[in-house]
Amino acid sequence: MIAQLILSILLAGILIYAWSEYARSPAVAVLALFVATAGLYFVWVPEHSTALAELVGIGRGVDLILYVWVCLSLIVVLNLHLKLRTQMELITALARKIALADAQAPDRGREYPGSRSGMSGG
Amino acid sequence: MVSRAQMYVVIPAYNEGPVISRVVSEVKRAGYAVVVVDDGSSDATAEEARAAGAGVITHPFNLGQGAALQTGIDYAVVQGAEVIVTFDADGQHRVSDIARLAEALVQERADFALGSRFLGQAPNLPPLRRLLLHAATAFTRLTTGLQVTDTHNGLRAMTRRGAAAIRLRQNRMAHASEWLSQIAASGLRYVERPVTIEYTAYSLAKGQSLGDAVLILLDLFARRLYR
Repeated sequence: MIAQLILSILLAGILIYAWSEYARSPAVAVLALFVATAGLYFVWVPEHSTALAELVGIGRGVDLILYVWVCLSLIVVLNLHLKLRTQMELITALARKIALADAQAPDRGREYPGSRSGMSGG
Repeated sequence: MVSRAQMYVVIPAYNEGPVISRVVSEVKRAGYAVVVVDDGSSDATAEEARAAGAGVITHPFNLGQGAALQTGIDYAVVQGAEVIVTFDADGQHRVSDIARLAEALVQERADFALGSRFLGQAPNLPPLRRLLLHAATAFTRLTTGLQVTDTHNGLRAMTRRGAAAIRLRQNRMAHASEWLSQIAASGLRYVERPVTIEYTAYSLAKGQSLGDAVLILLDLFARRLYR
């Protein structure tokens, strides 16, 4: 009973988070909403998780939840990885722009044809 | 024939303070415009390069060699360079090889001329590193289909048109094979020319370790998975 209460509070927290996140990222919010609702349901009706597990060929309901959880975290990690890489590309572009704006031109030899000054950015 | 002043030699440098001045002077003496991209060094690399007469672009923080090369190329293109050469900062390349690659661009009507130490010479190349380089070459040949002999050579020359086809996104060392995949994708003509790489105690100490090679491989596999 204690475990069920603690889990319910945590899952309710996720429900509230999903609700508040809806405007910013509907897909993530709907996914979190679904996962938290399913979690709440199985916390209070664990027999159904076992029935569902047996239906898809897994022994116990706990195992089913564990497997689903592993898959979900992998998706989250991949998503974060891609996000970080996109951010790194943006940071690189920004740093390059700053570096080019402050570029010091090379000393020119006598034969240098014409001179273009100033940078138009890249 | 392109005059040497319209040839920009781009030298990415990260903490190369002890050697950068000598490398810049040698390249400048040959008549080329030199641009050093200081990749957020904590030593006096930028000041040394500037004092030796190079143009200097300073990244606000360390981004990696691929990013530094791309910054240098962008700069050279805006400055009106006709030929852009990439050159390592640690003094392992020979200045005379620059002209060889530039001539190859003209003679072969190519847009890229790539240096190869395995067509040329690499005295003092340690056996383990030789093995590693051959493995990297085999891997890149397999994945890009280009029949090159040396994929991790920092000495390359390209035309303005070639430079426009290059957009390095791998900031770290994995850019070496990215060059080749983008050359392959561009469909532009490339040639390889023998160059000499002189391994000094300094360049060997700065070079990539076996651990780096594993990281590069992981990085490349990750790239192929997600793109």
